[in-house]
Amino acid sequence: MASLFNQRIGKLLPVALVLILIFTAFGGASAQDQVNLRMTVWDLATTPYWQALVDAYTAQNPNVTIELVDIASAEYQNVVNVMLSGGDDVDVITVKDIPGYSGMLTRGQIIPLNDYIKTANIDLSLYSGAAEELTYEGSIYALPFRSDIWILYYNKAIFDAASLPYPTNDMTWTEFEALARKLTTGSGADKIYGAHFHTWRSTVQLPTVQDGKNIVIAEDYSFMAPTYNMVTSMQHDGIIMDYGELKAGNIHYSGPFKNGQVAMLPMGSWFIGSLIAAQNKGEFDFPWGIATYPHPDGVKAGTTAGTLTSLAINKASKNQDAAFRFIQFYSSVEGAKVLASLGNLPAIRTPEVLEVFAAVSGVPAEAQTALQTTTVRLELPMHPNVGSYEQILNEEHELIMTGSVSVEDGIAEINRRVAELPK
Amino acid sequence: MSILSLKPTNTHPSKRRSQFTKLAIAYSFILPNLIGFLIFTLIPMVFSLILAFMNWDGANQISWAGLENFSQMLRDETFRISLGNTIAFVALNVPLTMAASLGLALLLNQPLRGRNFFRTTFFFPYVASLVAVAVVWNMLFFPSAGPVNSVLSMLGVQNPPRWSASVDWAMLTVVMASVWRGMGYYMIIYLAALQNIPTILYEAAAVDGADTWQKFRYITLPMLTPATFFISVMLTIASFKVFDLVMVMTGGGPGRATNVLVIHIFNTAFKEFRFGYASSIAMVLFVMVIGITVIQFYMERRWVNYQ
Amino acid sequence: MERLLTLSFLSTSITLRSLFKFKMGKLLTYAALIILAFFMLLPFLWMVSASLKLDKDVFRFPIEWIPSKPEWSNYTTIWTRIPFMTFFGNSLKLTVIITLLQLCTSSFAAYAFAKLKFPGRDWLFLAYVGSIAIPWQVYMVPQFILMRQFDLVDSHLSLILLQAFSAFGVFLLRQFFVSIPDDILDAARIDGMSEYGIFFRIMLPLSKPALATLTIFTSVAVWNDFMGPLIYLNSQNLKTIQLGLRMFIQQYGADYALIMAAALVSLIPVIALFLLLQRFFVEGIASTGVKG
Repeated sequence: MASLFNQRIGKLLPVALVLILIFTAFGGASAQDQVNLRMTVWDLATTPYWQALVDAYTAQNPNVTIELVDIASAEYQNVVNVMLSGGDDVDVITVKDIPGYSGMLTRGQIIPLNDYIKTANIDLSLYSGAAEELTYEGSIYALPFRSDIWILYYNKAIFDAASLPYPTNDMTWTEFEALARKLTTGSGADKIYGAHFHTWRSTVQLPTVQDGKNIVIAEDYSFMAPTYNMVTSMQHDGIIMDYGELKAGNIHYSGPFKNGQVAMLPMGSWFIGSLIAAQNKGEFDFPWGIATYPHPDGVKAGTTAGTLTSLAINKASKNQDAAFRFIQFYSSVEGAKVLASLGNLPAIRTPEVLEVFAAVSGVPAEAQTALQTTTVRLELPMHPNVGSYEQILNEEHELIMTGSVSVEDGIAEINRRVAELPK
Repeated sequence: MSILSLKPTNTHPSKRRSQFTKLAIAYSFILPNLIGFLIFTLIPMVFSLILAFMNWDGANQISWAGLENFSQMLRDETFRISLGNTIAFVALNVPLTMAASLGLALLLNQPLRGRNFFRTTFFFPYVASLVAVAVVWNMLFFPSAGPVNSVLSMLGVQNPPRWSASVDWAMLTVVMASVWRGMGYYMIIYLAALQNIPTILYEAAAVDGADTWQKFRYITLPMLTPATFFISVMLTIASFKVFDLVMVMTGGGPGRATNVLVIHIFNTAFKEFRFGYASSIAMVLFVMVIGITVIQFYMERRWVNYQ
Repeated sequence: MERLLTLSFLSTSITLRSLFKFKMGKLLTYAALIILAFFMLLPFLWMVSASLKLDKDVFRFPIEWIPSKPEWSNYTTIWTRIPFMTFFGNSLKLTVIITLLQLCTSSFAAYAFAKLKFPGRDWLFLAYVGSIAIPWQVYMVPQFILMRQFDLVDSHLSLILLQAFSAFGVFLLRQFFVSIPDDILDAARIDGMSEYGIFFRIMLPLSKPALATLTIFTSVAVWNDFMGPLIYLNSQNLKTIQLGLRMFIQQYGADYALIMAAALVSLIPVIALFLLLQRFFVEGIASTGVKG
């Protein structure tokens, strides 16, 4: 019985695949008919732009209906993987992060878009480098629509109390550390911390790849030592909150910042919207500002790191042509304006789009200059084995930051474990 | 006669019934469950165990791998670490939870005022949100200002442990949380089992002049053995499969200090897309658990009292 | 009285010791219980406290147990931010159906495993127990593929079929049935009662504590199940309460105050069920008058 089942599945998978291919070959032909597209998204209840963009598109294309499949954000990629393994024919897949993208791409579950892009004559340079980051072996499998960059948030009240000038858009990490040490005052429950590093690996590792000489997929990670030395010494001196306690207490970065416990917070631009909402609700009342992400010595100001949210088409989709027309709209200048008007940073950041963003009520006045970037590097680059690298880096980051191993030993351990990964 | 044979039930008085009728009656009881169980659980399960000898990325053609997955396991450092962590968790969690739940059940089987309140209370950690459990536990053991470490420093401990933020203490912290969360659950099974002990046994023992300890040792404990057997098997299996609690408390960290087998299986399947290899690790887990269960079945014949 | 004597091995026996010592023992028992109860209730108290805070204060240390400005509005927000009522109804429907089906199928099978002799019984039972040993994470993809073949994905029926036939329930009830003396059953057989008659008229009435136990365990498991609904339910109108709770956890931050408020509301049916079924734990053979 059991082996029979195994044979059946073993035979069914390729058969199903062939059937799907045949369907897709014929399915794309009838463009003007009524089409129903399904699209996987997360946080539908709390993220207004999903529905807003769908409404904007279906208003122009009444023959298309779009069904949003909402998946719990923390489990999003796992559920999408199960759906795709099960042969689900959902049409549009929102790509949440690079490990998810690289996984679906290397396993052939999403289709290359080069031909579509050529036919539709899309100018990829609009995405200021993001399209190149998504290109793998000459092919691009997703179009970016949202892009967040890392910036520096600061509490103006703390700076005013200390009579120190606000951070500028051209600040090195060395200057950042010196400033943080000056801003740290008090003790116990009233203590003010000069800066805050959230528990994510990226908060420490992003500055190490800002110069563009290294990426986090490497063989020798000694380039990470200077930043780790800086952060662990700040932690040792009580300039930033203790990593182990942040982790044990499950403390989200928004709490300490909104409670006025930290002066400077390097964080992604997604936090702008959440801060504005909290301030409007009266959760806190101090003035805050944003500046460009600090940069290493000898690197141009405005160099930062970012994340991409993009759209891909399922290989098993029966409406690939219609799906492409939809994602083309989603990632266009027109779509970007809808996104920006709702307080999110689109992947296309032309002056006209940024203007829409800056006009959103509550966005700090510094936004237009602080959000101007010269170079944006991806947090994680495209690599077939990126998941394994990320796992190792996360684990060793935790060991270094909890003081379980020294910076030197931790980095040696990363080098050793990475060398053992299948190439 | 299989080696797993349980203690046979008494011979039926009506011996005239044919074997066939008996079999038909027995299966009429089992089939409603068996059919559903077979289709929806056993078949996918067997399929996934067969995957242990295959390579599959969850998308493309399945290919034969033979024993390659198992030989790879020998070189897999994270597998060794998570296996050791899992065994440590089982070895600590099973006896501690059993002792605690039996103690609670005996305590709450007495005619005490507010008994219902206490029973509900002790079951509470099991139904409470896992996030709340993790937060409260981590708060009690908070490194700098937590109540536990405050008491320890008052007692003169120089460098109190950093608990879940420390490689050496994280596993113990998780075990304590697990015992605390699970003891009310298993207490319920013991409580239900205690109701099944006929009072006549105690009455007879009282006539014979047995004292409290003797009654516990020679009546309560033997009569509880089916429940104890069930709890020991279920608890061992559940401990080998521990996942959720570790994920919310430590996420397997710091580093790999609390990485257990199911976390490794999950990462292998869903982060690295090596479903075949994940299945082979599950196979090792399965063989270990079955081995221990068979030993427990053997022990059951020696110490379980069914009458 | 007998139960008191045998089980109070922590306190002392009344018959032989002085009344004073007895009272001391009781006092110590209560003191221990109250301290234990306090530690058990801590997560509950934290949930109540967190549910009345602003989100930024939820994880602030040291914990402010009684919020100075309680945010009662959290309890109204949860009903408007997400379709909480629909989710509540779906969870209730699934829990009731699955629990009833599991009680039926499990008790039936458990009776055969405990009290009937037939070839292959022990191997089949081992397969049941063994199946519990395999982590669900391993076979959830094959199970999902199978469900897609049956075209049951995105329906409540898929979850019902997956959870109604549990090996756990069979194992639990078998262990209880086994401890019911065979003499009672044999006496009934001699009187000409069929196996079905014995099952319905003797086994089930004698197994109320066990059935109550399984009811509680199954209901709690289904009510709190997250991974099953996560994978099998896509449509918003089919989703359950646990998926609803996760909707307050977003990509870049979570409303833990709302989560805790919603979690507390979702606990009410579970606690009510527990209180309702509690009485069965004091009513077993000991008090139903059947003494073998």
